Amino acid sequence: MGEKPEWLQQYNLIGKIGEGTYGLVFLAKTKSPPNCGKSIAIKKFKQSKDGDGVSPTAIREIMLLREITHENVVKLVNVHINHNDMSLYLAFDYAEHDLYEIIRHHRDKGNNMINQYTVKSLLWQLLNGLNYLHSNWIIHRDLKPSNILVMGEGEEHGVVKIADFGLARIYQAPLKTLFDNGVVGAEAKSTSNPFQLDQLDKIFKGTSMRILDYMGAVPLSTKSASFDLLSKMLEYDPRKRITAAQAIEHDYFRSEPLPGRNALVPSQPGEKVINYPTRPVDTNTDFEGTTSLQPPQPVTSGNAISGGMPGMGGGMNPGNIPMPRGVAQPHQQHHLRRKDPPGTGTGYPPQQKSRR
Amino acid sequence: MGDFDSSLSLSSLLCHENETCFFDDSVSDHSNIKHEQSCFGIETEADVEYVEKLVERETITFGYRCRSSFDDCLITSHNWLKFARLDAIEWILNTRAIHGFRFHTAYLSVTYFDRFVSKRSIDEGKLWAVRLLSVACLSLAAKMEERKAPPLSEFPVEDFCFGNKVIQRMELLVLNTLDWRMNSITPFAYLHYFIRKTCGESTPKETVSRAVEFIVAMIKEIDLLDHRPSVIAAAAVLAASNRQFTREELELKMDTISSWGSLENENVFSCYIAMQEIEMGKVKTPRLVFYPSPSSIHSGSFDVLEKLFHRLQGAGIKRSLAFNECDQTCPAKKTRRP
Repeated sequence: MGEKPEWLQQYNLIGKIGEGTYGLVFLAKTKSPPNCGKSIAIKKFKQSKDGDGVSPTAIREIMLLREITHENVVKLVNVHINHNDMSLYLAFDYAEHDLYEIIRHHRDKGNNMINQYTVKSLLWQLLNGLNYLHSNWIIHRDLKPSNILVMGEGEEHGVVKIADFGLARIYQAPLKTLFDNGVVGAEAKSTSNPFQLDQLDKIFKGTSMRILDYMGAVPLSTKSASFDLLSKMLEYDPRKRITAAQAIEHDYFRSEPLPGRNALVPSQPGEKVINYPTRPVDTNTDFEGTTSLQPPQPVTSGNAISGGMPGMGGGMNPGNIPMPRGVAQPHQQHHLRRKDPPGTGTGYPPQQKSRR
Repeated sequence: MGDFDSSLSLSSLLCHENETCFFDDSVSDHSNIKHEQSCFGIETEADVEYVEKLVERETITFGYRCRSSFDDCLITSHNWLKFARLDAIEWILNTRAIHGFRFHTAYLSVTYFDRFVSKRSIDEGKLWAVRLLSVACLSLAAKMEERKAPPLSEFPVEDFCFGNKVIQRMELLVLNTLDWRMNSITPFAYLHYFIRKTCGESTPKETVSRAVEFIVAMIKEIDLLDHRPSVIAAAAVLAASNRQFTREELELKMDTISSWGSLENENVFSCYIAMQEIEMGKVKTPRLVFYPSPSSIHSGSFDVLEKLFHRLQGAGIKRSLAFNECDQTCPAKKTRRP
């Protein structure tokens, strides 16, 4: 077929926005109504090894995404199959920001703290999404700031979306039971998991302090609700750790400023609104495999994704992996899935403390 | 302590990718099961929550429907599919054994198969297509459930020859047809819980393996889309307990099992009867219990089946259909009315 695949014709490709072990992520815009001009993140799975058939990672990720619907979880818009080479593409609503970049933005600006309202809203929405996943027996297993997306300008501006379910698992059991049985702990030891148990230990112990650094806005008074919540979430023993369900009920979220839907724009007047940088786009890259067939269509509006284009409902990036943008901390960008940026969790979401 | 007990029993069937597949591992671990037996009657909240959630997910993901297409198929020109399906199941079960997959995986692949043929038709006589579908379904189920799925070339396709690309294409077709909803609940998820609720009569070890046998045997007899996994599991456990229950006794038993809500007693009962028939079949003449429901069996359809059976054999495709083996282990074709 010398033609551009049919499914691809419904998009204008803008460029590459991410790359990881799983494959590539592109930014594109839908061409035709009703969502004309809407930003879409397209994740292309790396081809599986010849002879293995469709990659199990892709199957599991798509299967999971098909089953979950929640405001704080990425929305899978479409699954496309390139019939030529049987490559798989996932189309998601595009998200302009992610927590990794938001934190980095603040850190690089010296003492410019994230305001309380934003911290609280981001955290609440993250916990809300996690609670949804956990109550459906889904464990994300790769939770980190770069996988926690935040929608750009549009109807869902400032809404948190948990992304990248490439390592996620759905268990045929309530999570509590899993932990009681050390199943998750055992998996941490298995080769399929990025963490070794002893590393986990280090990560965890090292992380607690770093999180406190980043959340500079959180007062460290041991009497504050924020400190109380934080220490419960950082509890080392998953059985004692506060669950997502319990955490969203915590006093911290009941005191002013109350968390809101648009985490980036405080409802109270007078609060400063920060313009976070938009995701860099590598416009020289096009969809691999379709490159030779048709060059990407240049988009006239220059930096099309910035400046909150025609107010489309933001979008989402499943991709999670940020483009290299300057050095933050010594970490390897292309191995982000293995090496978490600082401030990350363990990959294992907080677990249910005995509920009964 | 309630917690500890429940975790013991639940753990064995829970974790997907952990090897603690209950009927491979814990069956041999007699002490565990004894322990469970001792806690008979104790139902923890976690158990109830677990089963409630399973049943809920069963409804959502399983896409439970009241029988339709497969039965319809039986009276249409696709009758041959019934036989092709038996052949596919034989192949799946054999291949399961070769690769050491769990029964759950085999069962899952048959649900994929049944869902696929309920949505797309396969041209009559295209046995290669049926085999290709079987390979794709089993490979996909293994990718979902087994720790490591074998390369496509390690699936024995016997007298067919499929390239890896062809199989991969078929996998994609199945995934697409099933809308990528690959996460179905199977009866095995309920087994330990149900056994614990009914334990008594025979030794638990036997009960578990007999229940597994019943479930596997039922795969051949019914379209898996017609029966909730929980119903099949309940019937299998009751049938495995080695006692002739009357309808009333059975309903009493059911009440103890299904304290979280009502299992469909009617369905459990007919599944139970069907399993008993299978059991008797082992002793006497094997017969095909073409089960589904008492109400919806079209008596006419079986004549058609008989004819088709002969026609297929006459047409010389019997080798692939493996009727000879089939005759010994499961079946011949006969209606029964529960």
